[in-house]
Amino acid sequence: MDNRDQGIQNEMITKKDLRHLFLRSWTIMCSWNYERQMHMGFMYGMAPILDKLYKNKPEERKEAYRRHMEFFNCTPQMTGFIMGLAASMEEQNAKAEDDSFQAESISMVKTSLMGPFAGIGDSFFQGTLRIITFGIGLSFAQQGSVLGPILAVLLFAVPSILLGYYGTVLGYESGNKYLAKLYQEGIMDRVMQFASIVGLAVVGGMVASMVTITTPLTFTTGGTELVLQDMLDSIFPKLLPLIFTLGIYSLIQKKVNTNLLLLGIVICGIILGAFGIL
Amino acid sequence: MLIQAILLGLVGVVGVIDSRLIGRQNIGRPLILSTLAGLALGDLRTGIILGASLELISMGFVAIGAAGPPNMQFGSIIATAFVILSGATTETALTIAIPVAVIGEFMSVIMRIIIAQFSHVADAAIEAGNYARAKHIHIWWSFTLNAFIYFVPIFLTVYLGTGIVETLVNAIPEVVTNGLTVAGNLLSALGFAMLLSTMLSRKLFPYFLFGFLVVAYSGLDLIGLTLFACILAFILDKVSYGRGEGVQNG
Repeated sequence: MDNRDQGIQNEMITKKDLRHLFLRSWTIMCSWNYERQMHMGFMYGMAPILDKLYKNKPEERKEAYRRHMEFFNCTPQMTGFIMGLAASMEEQNAKAEDDSFQAESISMVKTSLMGPFAGIGDSFFQGTLRIITFGIGLSFAQQGSVLGPILAVLLFAVPSILLGYYGTVLGYESGNKYLAKLYQEGIMDRVMQFASIVGLAVVGGMVASMVTITTPLTFTTGGTELVLQDMLDSIFPKLLPLIFTLGIYSLIQKKVNTNLLLLGIVICGIILGAFGIL
Repeated sequence: MLIQAILLGLVGVVGVIDSRLIGRQNIGRPLILSTLAGLALGDLRTGIILGASLELISMGFVAIGAAGPPNMQFGSIIATAFVILSGATTETALTIAIPVAVIGEFMSVIMRIIIAQFSHVADAAIEAGNYARAKHIHIWWSFTLNAFIYFVPIFLTVYLGTGIVETLVNAIPEVVTNGLTVAGNLLSALGFAMLLSTMLSRKLFPYFLFGFLVVAYSGLDLIGLTLFACILAFILDKVSYGRGEGVQNG
């Protein structure tokens, strides 16, 4: 037991790790793609911490890497907080005796936070801070003053960087402080239920708001033109995104190879688009 | 012209660095990119003034989620280049910039599909325990592709002139552009489906549907939805654990 504790001491996440985590959170959009969006960015951010925590546990390390390759999307400035929180959970997972920590809770917490955080982050950083700082910069730039672009960048970047950094530290510390307590009091099951309800509801909402699949088909009956999409919208809005997401989901459940699935979807998309069906 | 074309292509890469490597500090906005383009061409003042009017036009354009706005990064660099190099007016410069922005968006769509393929290579690398490779794919492969996709159209437009670009844009059949957009949208459904495969179970399906229906029927944003979902989760917590042990009943 003593040896084990010693090992844990060495594995602890330091301030320096958190600084790296924050800097890496900047690259979250580097490999943005249509399939899982910022997932590789999240993995890249967490990687040094995962390597450290699971140094002597190859299976758990792989499991952790897989976990952070799941879909992710958030405002870059807000991901530091989520990464910090995820780091504190990974740390507790690494410390925990076998299976006493439910690793799925890490994914649940990530997914339930990314939606609302993106909502807050996008409206604060792009909707408010950028409009104000670039507005100030614009008034100088219109006169041809070089102060314009410089002010715009500085006024935006300073709060953006500070909030990102302190967000990362706050995420880690609040995870550390509260999560351990939740485990000790044995109410993690309740937290899990709470997080999975909120998380799934948010994913449901994201399917409705972020997957855009519509049909341009129209029919002419008795001289009047019927727009199929309008009819669908009045009966069951966003039906097509739901059908496609659940259809693909059931194919994944049937263990269809994802590469095949990806290729099939691209080809289907091109064909359906070319014939004007979608 | 070669050196100017390279410099302007590099200004495009600055825009890429902003969103891909430094967490979108908004250095990739038209105000800044036009200023840099002006600096590269030796006419800083024109760059700044043009940047200001382009920034005003595109104040409301922000890339959020899968749907991209008109690509003002290409647009502002090309427009600035043509105002300074050929003495065109701002309006003419914008009409020239638009076909370039179209090509740029078109290439970006293909790029985001290719990067989705990269992610499968990264999955495989993780399965094989080759973590360094997975990290390289995120940071080097993807960044290089991004930079290339921005550099090339800007470089070619400035170097070859606009005539060729317009011919090129007209040569891409509209069905192909449409098809690729549809394919891109279907792929975002794949992303959510893969996420759901790790979260969803028969027991939890109603909560997914709850979130979907609320947003689909009301258009509520995600913050509002989260608040409602918290209330729902709170009620269900009371139902499941309310009379159990470990809860202060009074």
